[in-house]
Amino acid sequence: MLEINNLTARIGDTEILRGLSLSVKAGEVHAIMGPNGSGKSTLAQVIAGHQDYVVTGGTATFNGKNLLDLEPEERAREGVFLGFQYPVEIPGVNNAYLLKAAVNARRQHQGLGEIDAFEFLKLAREKMAMLGMDTKFLNRGVNEGFSGGEKKRNEILQMAMLEPKLAILDETDSGLDIDALKAVAEGVNSLRKPDRAIVLVTHYQRLLDYISPDFVHVLSEGRIIRSGDRTLALELEEKGYDWLREAANG
Amino acid sequence: MKPAMLSIDSLKSAVLRLPDDVLSATRAAALANLDEHGLPTVQHEDWKYTDLRPAIDISNRWLADGAARPTGGDLSEAIVSVTGSIDADWLVIANGAIDMSHFNSSPGIEIERFSESAAPFVMDRPLADLNAALLQDGLRVQVHAATEKPLGLLIIDDANSGAAVTQVNVEIMVAPGCDVEIVEYQTSSGRDDHYANSVVTLDIGEAAHTGYVRIQERRIGHVQTGRLSVSVGKDARFAMASYDLGGGLVRNDVDIDLGAKGADLVCNGLYLASDGQHIDNHIRIDHRVGPASSSQEFRGILNGRCRCVWNGKAIVHKGADGTDAKQANHNLLLSDNAEIDAKPELEIYADDVKCSHGTTVGQLDEAALFYLRSRGLGRHEAIQALTRAFAADLVGRAPVSAAKTAIAALVDARLAELTLERTS
Ligand SMILES: Nc1ncnc2c1ncn2[C@@H]1O[C@H](COP(=O)(O)OP(=O)(O)O)[C@@H](O)[C@H]1O
Ligand SMILES: [Mg+2]
Repeated sequence: MLEINNLTARIGDTEILRGLSLSVKAGEVHAIMGPNGSGKSTLAQVIAGHQDYVVTGGTATFNGKNLLDLEPEERAREGVFLGFQYPVEIPGVNNAYLLKAAVNARRQHQGLGEIDAFEFLKLAREKMAMLGMDTKFLNRGVNEGFSGGEKKRNEILQMAMLEPKLAILDETDSGLDIDALKAVAEGVNSLRKPDRAIVLVTHYQRLLDYISPDFVHVLSEGRIIRSGDRTLALELEEKGYDWLREAANG
Repeated sequence: MKPAMLSIDSLKSAVLRLPDDVLSATRAAALANLDEHGLPTVQHEDWKYTDLRPAIDISNRWLADGAARPTGGDLSEAIVSVTGSIDADWLVIANGAIDMSHFNSSPGIEIERFSESAAPFVMDRPLADLNAALLQDGLRVQVHAATEKPLGLLIIDDANSGAAVTQVNVEIMVAPGCDVEIVEYQTSSGRDDHYANSVVTLDIGEAAHTGYVRIQERRIGHVQTGRLSVSVGKDARFAMASYDLGGGLVRNDVDIDLGAKGADLVCNGLYLASDGQHIDNHIRIDHRVGPASSSQEFRGILNGRCRCVWNGKAIVHKGADGTDAKQANHNLLLSDNAEIDAKPELEIYADDVKCSHGTTVGQLDEAALFYLRSRGLGRHEAIQALTRAFAADLVGRAPVSAAKTAIAALVDARLAELTLERTS
């Protein structure tokens, strides 16, 4: 589904991704771990198409299409979803408006008609109940004045409404209390499907207690320096990252 | 460039050709004033950013051409499209001619024409003089009791028979204790140049409440200068909001006189401008006595090569203790070629006064734009959503509720068009 090969990217003059390769297939759940500043968010933003990151080499394809040629909205309509580490507050743009516009953009791309208002509300209510979100959040500005946990739930709500093919969740677990973490994990698990892939970016093992990944990768200084199964996460929990970095550099 | 001068000689002969009537003396006095002072140039502090040459040029061509009242095309469809969009009792002035056919008389409202009664009071201002010098008629509206529907004032022009000029003058008096809502709507069409100069005088009686919405959606390229002079009585409330969506060169002068205790004033405005537009809002509020409060909030969204001006002046006169005056102006610039001249001004001669002002000029929030696009919204749709959000508050607070839906639709349509240039 997602094939990344030897990708290099910079922001300003700083090279951040330095030859990153990753292959994600339908049905798989991958966890990308790594210390702060290792480039996890950069990878996520590059996949989503953020204009500030300049890809300087390598390739990235999504279901055979060159991802790097697509505008951010085209990537979203193709089924790529990024759950932001820092969701943006947009005062005055209604949350329900965004959800509906996003769903309709995706549907239009799939050749489907617009979702009807009743169907939309029903779906939104259902997903919000699963996430333990009050429906009053529908009528607020996008993330406007939301607490950290509310913002993260709102990201998962958007993901649940959009039913992406590939979901990249950037530290969706950070700053959540245990109830919120469980709600978010339930939301993610409910989306696990054979035709969908999920990439969890995290630097804690904690989330992985609730969502069991098929693969775990360690990102350091813009490269994946180790890949393994879920036991790698446990090992990292125990030993930290330094032993791997030493192994990679030595 | 040499400052264009209004051709006083052709103006004089145009005025002399008008039939002798109750307005003759007023026209003559205004003409004499104009002859002496002329129209302001950019040398005048109040006109520093706004050059009236396009208005003067259109006037001179129209005068040279015989200064006929413009005939224009058939406006009935355009009139109905406005009167149908806002449920009001409409006074229509089409190509300068009063049309009462859209007005349902109401027992609380009394209307007379200047031509059948008396001339209006003429302010000592050059554009008011120009208006008075060419005045052939006008409306005096007295509101004695609350009306069921808002009072609509539609000023509509169509220029298709050469450069044309229209002068509109309306006086509105709101009786003490009376609540009324007013919509002033100015629009225009036609391939030829047009200059509209309007004067609206509003006198709000003691403890009366007036909501006033001004919508301006003239053809881009047409020229408008408009003056709204308001005096607010004791314990009276005046809430106004203006929406400048069209026009080429547009200058709005709003003068509000708070001459009695307890007056409460809100004066807001939204201006949306793109290529070829110049929109200038000059607000002057005179706090003569206290306590009284005034609040101004203007917002602008600018794209392409255009210029907007906001000058919000509040003068707190000696003795106006207990004055509370606020001014705010926020602008969103979508292009490097867009220019805003924002000038808050507070002149304070009293002691016990609360005043504040704030001005911001910003660009589109790129992080928000990316966030929306990452959810599948196209660039244009995302920009529309962000600009709509910037304008939404002022649309929502339109002080004439019957006009809100129409204003929202007009603003949306204008934003859809205005933001298009940035989507490629
Ligand atoms: N906008 C930016 N400008 C400059 N440097 C940045 C910017 N964003 C991130 N970086 C740098 O890029 C590196 C990787 O950051 P990031 O991808 O956010 O790491 P992670 O998500 O793994 O913590 C860090 O050294 C960070 O300081
Ligand atoms: Mg990060």
